[in-house]
Amino acid sequence: MIRLQNVTKDYGGRPALVNVNLHIALGEFAFLVGPSGAGKSTLMRLLYREETPTSGSVFVGGVNLNRLHKRQVPLLRRRLGTIFQDYKLLPRQTVFNNVAYILRALGVEEKEVAKRVQSALSVVSLEHKADAYPDELSGGEQQRVGIARAIVNGPPVLLADEPTGNLDPATSLEIVQLLERIAERGTTVFISTHDTNIVNTLRRRVIYLKGGEIVSDVDSGVYELEPNLNV
Amino acid sequence: MRHLRTFFRVIIETGLGIKRSGWSNWLVVSILAIALTIFGGILQVTMTMKNVVAAFGSQLEVSAYLKDGYQPKRVAREISQIPEVQLVEIVTKDVAWDEMKSTFKVASLANPLPNTLHIRASSPEAVEAVAAKVKLLSAVENIRYPLNVARKINEFRHFIEIAGFAITAALSAATLTVIGNTIHLLIESRQREIEILSLMGVSPFYIKGPFVLQGAAYGAGSAAVAILVLVGVHIYLDPYLTDQLVSLAPFLPRNIEYGMWQTFGVMLGLGVLVGAGGSAWTSGKYIKI
Repeated sequence: MIRLQNVTKDYGGRPALVNVNLHIALGEFAFLVGPSGAGKSTLMRLLYREETPTSGSVFVGGVNLNRLHKRQVPLLRRRLGTIFQDYKLLPRQTVFNNVAYILRALGVEEKEVAKRVQSALSVVSLEHKADAYPDELSGGEQQRVGIARAIVNGPPVLLADEPTGNLDPATSLEIVQLLERIAERGTTVFISTHDTNIVNTLRRRVIYLKGGEIVSDVDSGVYELEPNLNV
Repeated sequence: MRHLRTFFRVIIETGLGIKRSGWSNWLVVSILAIALTIFGGILQVTMTMKNVVAAFGSQLEVSAYLKDGYQPKRVAREISQIPEVQLVEIVTKDVAWDEMKSTFKVASLANPLPNTLHIRASSPEAVEAVAAKVKLLSAVENIRYPLNVARKINEFRHFIEIAGFAITAALSAATLTVIGNTIHLLIESRQREIEILSLMGVSPFYIKGPFVLQGAAYGAGSAAVAILVLVGVHIYLDPYLTDQLVSLAPFLPRNIEYGMWQTFGVMLGLGVLVGAGGSAWTSGKYIKI
């Protein structure tokens, strides 16, 4: 579902990713870990085509993103659910409208919009907050709205860039467990994080990125500060 | 159906954008309305002049004003010998003076009017030739004929056109700047929202469309205001203007065509073009998707 082949990305001579090779299968759940500045966010941005690699190829759902025309980028992003550390909710819109926005922009019938939004909100247990505004919600609730928005269009891939970065440990675990439940329904979930607690609790595939290179890739792994090289 | 619903949503977003713009809506519409009123006014004046000239062009008459001491009948006989002349009508100075006195209040003074001959040419092409031959006669003091007047009006029209379009171009440039700034401010205030929409995979049409339509709405609104102003001017000034024109040029037909609908169409088109064009340019420059 996600494949990177010899991907290098550098910003004016400063390398952010160096010769990265990676494959994540359909329905897989994986963590991308590493210290700040390791290149996690850069890798994520390559996947939703916010950035393009300096060299190498990035494939998502079989599509080579290097060859994707600018006009086709929105089509790619509709097939990806993206979750951000700062939630990126529309402050002047209610929870319902935040989740419904993309469906309406795609011209989905209002009856269908209501049905799909209710369903997404029920997955994240926020049906009762449909009429609230983002600033009336806690951080955890705001992130759950972000997740509802990401899954409302039924994407096969869910990318989460530091989704728990602004949350307390208990809420963080709650959010990641929610993402794990979504993965159980067949969605590929790829989470970048530097939260050792959630990675070590869930014991799923862990890809360790350091200085722009993958230094370890372990199934049922843990997040160690100095991992044994096991690519 | 899906595209129709998307378009409907874009219109709703446009409405929200206009609501959010507040007072700047009035600023943009006022400036653009002033520019369009001037443009429309100039367009109407020049179109009316064109129609007047066309009406003159179809007139076959040459008026000859005789010097004192010449017998109008004898001059008329001489003129009727010219092959291109179809008819010569004599208006003696006494008849003309009586007519003038019955129309206007004039002071009791000696009759200043000359004997006049109205000469009808056999075809529009012959008018110039007849005028040239009549002017050479020693009895003729001066001549006036519609084509002669038409030429002078045309010269004046060209001047108005050039000056008017220069003013309109300057005002349109100013309007483009104001529209650009208004849309730019709106884009800045919605930058985060635009970024989110882009990351969600919302199409550029859906993101930029409302800004372009907002510009087009400014253009249409301004054109409507400018058209109302011109309609008002027409209602109050038309009868007066027609009288003035006819008194200046008696051979002018009274049913002058002012070209109102064409002018209004052009104003609306220009307004929408400037509005939509200005905001399309600004959205293209500041919204990076």
